[in-house]
Amino acid sequence: MPPSSPDRLTGMKPAYLKLLTGQGTRQGLWSLPLLIALAIALGLSLTAQQFTSADNLFNLITQAMPLIITAIGQMFVIVIGGLDLSVGSVISFTTAILALDGPAYLLIPAVFLLAAAIGAINGIVITRLNVHPIIATLSMQYVVLGITRILRPVSGGTVPDVVIASVSGSLLGIPLPVFWGIAVLLVAWKVLHGSRFGLHLFAIGGGIAAGMEKVPHNFGVAERRNILLAYVTCSCFAALAGIFLAGRIVSGDPNVGLLFELDAITAVAIGGTQLSGGVGALHGTVIGALVMALLANGMNLTNVSPFIQTTIKGLILLLVVGLQSRKRMGL
Amino acid sequence: MAVTLADKAWQRIRRIPPAYFVFAILLVTLAVLRPHMMNANILGIFIRQIVPLGILVLGQLLVMRVRSIDLSGGGIILLINYYISSGLFPGTSMALFIAMAIATGLIIGTFNGIMIAKRRVSAVIVTLAVSIVLVGFVQYLSSGKPPGDVPAIFATAYNTKLAGVPTPVLLWIALTILMALFLSRMVFGRFVASVGENLTAAHFSGVPVERTVIVAHILAGLMAAIAALVQTASIAVGSVRVGLDLPILSVAATILGGVVFGRGEGGVWGPFFGVLSFALLFILMTTLGVDEPGKLIIQGLIILLAAIFYGMRIAKP
Repeated sequence: MPPSSPDRLTGMKPAYLKLLTGQGTRQGLWSLPLLIALAIALGLSLTAQQFTSADNLFNLITQAMPLIITAIGQMFVIVIGGLDLSVGSVISFTTAILALDGPAYLLIPAVFLLAAAIGAINGIVITRLNVHPIIATLSMQYVVLGITRILRPVSGGTVPDVVIASVSGSLLGIPLPVFWGIAVLLVAWKVLHGSRFGLHLFAIGGGIAAGMEKVPHNFGVAERRNILLAYVTCSCFAALAGIFLAGRIVSGDPNVGLLFELDAITAVAIGGTQLSGGVGALHGTVIGALVMALLANGMNLTNVSPFIQTTIKGLILLLVVGLQSRKRMGL
Repeated sequence: MAVTLADKAWQRIRRIPPAYFVFAILLVTLAVLRPHMMNANILGIFIRQIVPLGILVLGQLLVMRVRSIDLSGGGIILLINYYISSGLFPGTSMALFIAMAIATGLIIGTFNGIMIAKRRVSAVIVTLAVSIVLVGFVQYLSSGKPPGDVPAIFATAYNTKLAGVPTPVLLWIALTILMALFLSRMVFGRFVASVGENLTAAHFSGVPVERTVIVAHILAGLMAAIAALVQTASIAVGSVRVGLDLPILSVAATILGGVVFGRGEGGVWGPFFGVLSFALLFILMTTLGVDEPGKLIIQGLIILLAAIFYGMRIAKP
């Protein structure tokens, strides 16, 4: 579209264009990733026989679940224009804590308390000490990874039976990860799209994206407190993903969360959430995580080299973010 | 009167990048705890190892001053290391390798710049994605195994000394001086400062904002390519893991040097001492026998404290 076109000036767009470009909506560009996900699923069901088998589909859900949970958590901070690079370390840290010898009724609350504390430190450093989110969470990533490696230098130990059973068991013939997914989605939907907290997060993010940081504050949004809570929420979701992963790998592993933050950010970005803040939707993030999981699953089924899979993920991320245009330049 | 004077002095102190303090503290600590390490030869060897980081930082400070960031350095270093060490191009002369490396850096820098300035994509995402693509590509080509050896001429060049100073260190200092002159004497330096200070104001004052950001990213790509050459020469073998933590460290050193995210402030010598501080930190941790997890924790805390120091300054200007 040429810059002089009146549409560009008024920001008015026909509805179909809004859906296709995600511009002018609060939910971001989620229709395109949905089409990509459907296209991959269709292509796989035609080419790989075993793709549509129930086993593989449940396997897909189990594989995707940690990423879905982490990405949803990451979304809380991306919506306010932040980023949390410490989630990968928090996941590893969680598995290391769970693999300590102790009763489950102590370890699981401890995991959430520690994760909330990490999130709170992130939030305080960002809101009260004016440190850029990338720097604050990056240094937290180092510190938590260091502590994790002191706790558990190499993978080992066993996690409580309850945790293992909650991931590998099944109820009424349906594997438990499906219930994990439903529960997480319901909670996240309520918090993000059905509560005052979620609305305030979008207001803060929209204000930051538009470069007017004081406006939500003047409308009675407690900016600092909500931002702090967003980082706490993000860390707690990461801890939840860590518990799920610990149940799947049955032991503590200091490297299991390595680069997880990047996958989570990729999933959120693919789902149409704007990294400048204020725009995004939960279903977009779930679709984004599913696209990543489908890709991994499909490339495994068709024996694509795991190394080139990384490249393909990166190219998809570039394509998806390249298609969304925004006003703000830079970070 | 006395109060305002003290205030002014305090403000002046707060304007000094944290890197100088950190550097001084680390130097004193090292001199007290391990006096035998205060030897020009030993320090020279350690500082020589940090040169790739130092050169990468020159690009990083440029893009961070125009409110962007470049995390693609790891991918560029890995790619250049791969095609020098893999033997894919047998019989290629050193000059041709250098030309290829520089071309690679310029192309990737241009791509980053256009995506960030024209398409307005988040700089973190673009440069991370480029790095992921390149790392995956190199690992695919090499099947995850370390490629072969680097031609001997690189190691020979790396080990030379001029007037008692290792050549790589001289190259780093020369590039830093060039960058400092470039930013202080050329119009481009003013463009960088104004874009970083206020993008909209710069645009309405007639500053070519998009071009400035693109050029900054092209130069960052060029610096990454030079850093890749030095890094490749220093390890003298191919590797599929080399340089992956350098981009993050370069961001840390730049912040330590007083360049603030999303603000146009900062010079060239602050980050220079930020890199030297990291060199001293590595020496100190190695000689004191700090193990890997401890190093990670200390590194994280130092980045955090430097950022907090600067954040407090922003809060009360």
